[in-house]
This record gives sequence, structure tokens and C-alpha cells, in this order.
Amino acid sequence: MKKTLLSFLSSLKLTIGLLIIIAVASILGTVIPQQYEGGQSFSHLSPGLVKVFKSLQLFDMYHSVWFIVLMGLLSLNLTVCSLNRLPTSWKLFRKKPSPDRDKPFEDLPPDRILATEKERNEVIRGVEKLLHRRYKRASRKDTANTTFFYGEKGAYSHFGVYIIHASILIVITGAVIGSLLGFDAFVNLPEGESTNTVHLGRQKGIKKLDFTVRCDKFSIAFYDNGMPKEYRSNLSFLKNSDVIHQGPLLVNHPITVNGIRFYQASYGAVPGGQAYITIKKGNEQGTTIKVKLKDSFYLKGNNATATIERIEENLMTMGPAVLVNIQSPEGNIRLWVFKYIDRIKEGIPGLFKKVPKFDPGLFKPYYFKLKKIESKYYTGLQLSHDPGVSIVAVGSFLIIIGFLITFFSSHKSFWLRVDEQEGKSRISVAASSNRDPVGLKRETDSLVKHLKRMI
Amino acid sequence: MIINTTILSWVTFIYFASAVFYMFRMVTGKEFWGPLASLIALAGLIAQTAALILRWVESYKLGIGHAPLSNLYESLIFFAWTIVLLYLIMEWRIKSRNLGAFVIPFAFFSMAYASLNVKSGIQPLIPALQSNWLISHVITCFFGYAAFTIACGLGFIYLLKGLEGRESSSPFLRLLPDREILDELSYHSVVIGFIFLTLGIITGSVWAYSAWGSYWSWDPKETWSLITWFIYAAMLHSRFVRGWKGKRMAIMSIIGFASILFTYFGVNYLPGLHSYF
Repeated sequence: MKKTLLSFLSSLKLTIGLLIIIAVASILGTVIPQQYEGGQSFSHLSPGLVKVFKSLQLFDMYHSVWFIVLMGLLSLNLTVCSLNRLPTSWKLFRKKPSPDRDKPFEDLPPDRILATEKERNEVIRGVEKLLHRRYKRASRKDTANTTFFYGEKGAYSHFGVYIIHASILIVITGAVIGSLLGFDAFVNLPEGESTNTVHLGRQKGIKKLDFTVRCDKFSIAFYDNGMPKEYRSNLSFLKNSDVIHQGPLLVNHPITVNGIRFYQASYGAVPGGQAYITIKKGNEQGTTIKVKLKDSFYLKGNNATATIERIEENLMTMGPAVLVNIQSPEGNIRLWVFKYIDRIKEGIPGLFKKVPKFDPGLFKPYYFKLKKIESKYYTGLQLSHDPGVSIVAVGSFLIIIGFLITFFSSHKSFWLRVDEQEGKSRISVAASSNRDPVGLKRETDSLVKHLKRMI
Repeated sequence: MIINTTILSWVTFIYFASAVFYMFRMVTGKEFWGPLASLIALAGLIAQTAALILRWVESYKLGIGHAPLSNLYESLIFFAWTIVLLYLIMEWRIKSRNLGAFVIPFAFFSMAYASLNVKSGIQPLIPALQSNWLISHVITCFFGYAAFTIACGLGFIYLLKGLEGRESSSPFLRLLPDREILDELSYHSVVIGFIFLTLGIITGSVWAYSAWGSYWSWDPKETWSLITWFIYAAMLHSRFVRGWKGKRMAIMSIIGFASILFTYFGVNYLPGLHSYF
């Protein structure tokens, strides 16, 4: 029982099966909208389907129990497979083949056999010196008329694949640590305001920070063609009313305070901006006043009071507008004051008949015009605390090291035999490697070249 | 039209000519076309390099200086550039022109798609793209894509070569390299591609960590690059562990390339963070 479970966990079939299931699930996840903040409508899906999807956690698939189980199985499979094979590789690494073997020298091509007039002992001394210089792991064995040598390099290449597998497990460990001990959160912070409470993302709920963040100013810059160039929040971080950090937050330039990283994620306009309204009577110049929401002002002569009820950045795509409520002895009048009223009037003939409250001259004898709105922005901050990041980084770095070892190094073994034939000393060179035949040939050619130079 | 896009639209035709000459060489079996095709491809590569440099300089003149790697048009152009560069290096290393007819067309298609369907203007970088990681991420990804493209081309040749030996084996099939060599080359291309894809994913994660607050957010492009990574990992494992070679590897390198294409283009039809590519 134990054995069958173990062999199941270490089978390549399981690996391939898991990879296929995870791949198919991931494809599903890219097609079904993923969200964890809630509130998104699935109006294009039937309610029954939504129910099924929800029970399978398909709307937050990558964090669902079954997806995590799949990833866990894959990690287990990776571990068991690696441990299973490790002893074999260790043996290959440790193996010191006895140099006096004739098998490697069978069918040797002629250019791997060198002959010389030099005396045999001198040749042996030279070969030994050369071999020890080239290979750390070299050995010698003498038989009656023959001396054998063995040298090798790159035995460590057997471990490349374990470095890769271990690094992948390190990355997964880092990810698990991050999701268990870390958090992600967001907060929308209007200019001039501060907070120490943020909304958690995946975990849901709110979180209190042990410091306060204040948005001093938010600004956007545009390129000439209207594309956004820069989003910038000037932030101050305070603890017990001392500023502990201060600086601009830009996209791609997060700020880290007390291990929590702040990101510029979004922005928007908030009510609370200021409006400049020009009021005139007949043909006179008129006066421009600055008003905020709920401000009231007195209209001379008519004994009327006007109150600002709404300030809109962009009312029904007709541009900035302000709702003014005028109370006079004759009654109540509400009217929208637009910035681009002339353009709107041109676009909709007979507008004031249809919608009297868009008429800037509705309250006679006054005429209102919106000069401009100074919006107040909020900055959307993304927060994250992830203690697993450095582990993931180490793992990623090691993967690349593992790749270099696995793909660009090989275990190369060389057998040399020195004997005598027809009164001449003879050196035979044989070689083998676990992979990379091209590299082996290059290395052997170089060895033969050096041997030739010596004799 | 600005000078760099003019040159680039000419380069499209140059690659087309090169691909046609590589095919002439195969079909007629006359070596004469080979050097011509290589020379034209090299000329195209030089012209394209010049155009890319000009485009880079031009962006600085517009006051929005950035490497020409920032939108779909520029990425398609760079994709073609990496394919031709890697191919020519390989041609020089293995001293064989047999693969040109199967690889250079990919460069031509990429260029043609760029010039026909995509806006070619130099655009400024939106805040999310203003990062030093842009260059290393795009370069590593596209070298990976190019290596996989070559592996896919080799896969096709391998399958074609399989037709040889039947009654009417045409001369051009005999001209193709041996299947063992094709298999070996394809393996090397996949290894190069796999390393670059991994580097691309890592550089992308580092960038995401500094831009979006998370090194991995299961965005469709990230997910699809992981699926692609799985496919090639499975391919390498079946070779290492099971000793799979030949036809199965050829088919897998074609499947892998399909996944690359989806990661590159298909993902744009799904909602996500990579929408500018």
C-alpha cells in the first residue's frame, strides 16, 4: 500500500496529468472573470450557472481550495520524484571507475591514438602531469605493460536538475509564506485627508495600520496627445503626529513604510471641489464668486438666497455643472449651471423649452455661468505586505543557476592508456559523457592536441 | 510617413524575397539561390537594425524618448528582428541553409502583420510602462519566442522529412538535413527558448512587483506564459526521463508554438493588465 502510493506520487504520469489539469484550469480562469472584491455583475451568465461556478470557487479560481490542492500535489510529486532519483545521481557523482578498463578503447578512431619514439616512462610522467593539471579528479593504475589513467570533469552536472526542482519548491514556499503571512489592501484617500484604516483585498475586512497615511496632493500630467504621462500622489506617513516618511508616489515607484509597500493604483474625483460662478444682471460685467458644496449666497434686490447643492465634474457627458437652489419669496427654483452651455444649446435645439432648469437665465433678471471647477481628487492606493518575496527571488535566481548547470555542463570522463607497440610508446584516448556530444568532442580534441604537443 | 516606418515596410519585402529564394533553393535544388537568400536576409536585418535605431532616436526628438519596444507594432517588428538574428547565427554555426525556407517566413509574417494591421506611430509611454524593466522583459521574452519559432520550423521540417523514402521522394526532401540533426537542433532551440522564457517570466514578475504590488496576479498573459512554460517543461522532461525523440518532439514543438502565439496575440482578447501589447 505504502509502496504503491509512493510509486504513484513519483510517476511521470502523475506529473503530466497534473500539468494538463492545472493548464486546463488556468485556461478556464483566464476566460471566467476573476475577482475577489465582489460586486461585479454576471448578468450575461444564467443564475444557475453562476451558482455552479460559485460553489466551485471559479470566480476566485486561483485561490480556490481545489487549485491549491492541485499545486500541492504537484509540489509533492516534484519532491518525491527528485528524492527518488537523487541516490542514483549521487552514485554517478561519487563513482570512480577503475582506470584499467579496455572497453572504452574498443573501436577507437585512429586520430585518438598517438604514437611516439619517446621512452614509455617519460610519456607516462608527462600524461600524468597533464591530466592532473586539467582535471581535479584524476587517477592512475599500472598493470604489467600498460598504464591506465582516468580523469573527469563536470560531475556536478548531475545535480543541476535537483537545483531546478529545489528552486521551484523554494519559489512555491515563498508564495505560500506570502499568502499566509502577507496581505494586500487598498484605500481611496482624498487630497488633504489621512487614514490608518485600509480595506483588505483577498482576505476581506478592514485593517488598521500602526501609522497614518495622508494624501497631501494628487496630480495628473498629460502628453500633448492627451495620453496620461504621470500620476503622482504626494504622501506623508505619520506616527504619533511625527512625519516618519514623506515623498511622491508614482506608478512603478512604490514607497515602503514599516514593511508595507504602497503603490499608485488609481485615482478619481471626489465631491468637495470648488466652483467659480459668474453672476450677472442684464448687460453688466457680472461678478465671479468662489463656492463650495452647500455654500449659500445672497442675490441682492430679489431677496433670494442661492445654495450650491451639487458640483459635478461631468454631468451626463455635458461637462462640468453645478446645481443651484434659489429660494425667494416667490418660491423655489433649481437650475443646473453648465460651463459649456453655449455648445450644449447648439447641439439640442429648443433645449430650454424642454428642460427649463438648464436655462441659465431662468431666475430673472439674473444670468448664471459656470467659469470652472477645481476638482478635488482622491488617490487610489494599493498596499501590500509580502514576507515571501525575498524567498521567491532567491528561488528564481537559483532556477537560472540550475538551468545553466543542467543545460550547459556535462559529466565528461576520459580514459587514457599508455602502452608499447612495435617499439614505440602509444597513447590511446577514449571519452564519454552523459550529454552534450559536441562539447565532449571539443574537449577531447583539445586534450589530444595537448598530448601531441607534449610528445 | 516617417523614415523608420518606410524602411521597415521595405524590410517586410526584403524578408519576403529572402524567404522566396530559400524556397527556390529547396525546390530547384540549385545552391545558387542559397547565398543570395542569406545575403538578402542579412541586408534586411541590417536595414531593420538601422530603422530600429532611427526610431529610438526619433522618439527622443519627439521628447518622449524610449526604446522601440513599447506597443504591438514595435513588438512585432522586434519579434521579426530576433527571429532573423537567431536564424542567421544558427545558419552560420551549423553551416546549412536548409532551415531558411521554414523560418524566414515567420519573420515576414510578423513584419507584414505589423505594417498592415497595427498603428505604427511612436507613442509616449503611459505611466505603467515607464520602467527600466520594460527593455529586459521584452528582450528576454522575444528571444524566447524567436527560439521557439525556430524550433517550430524545425518541427515542420522533421515531419516533412518523414515523408522521404516513400516511392516518389522529391530531391528537395533529400536536401533536408538528417532527422537526428533536426532533432538535436530542435532540442537546442527549445532549451534556449525555455531559458529566455523563464528569464522573461522572472523579469516580468520583478516589474509587476514594482508596478502593481504583486509579482504574480494570474493575469491572462501571466497565466498563458505559465501554460507555455508547462508545455515546454513537459517536452524537456519526456526527452530527459522517457527518452522521447523525433516525431513526438516535433509535434510538441508545434503545439508549444501555438501556445506562444496565443500568449502573444490571443490574450489580447481577454481582459487583463497586458492590454498594451
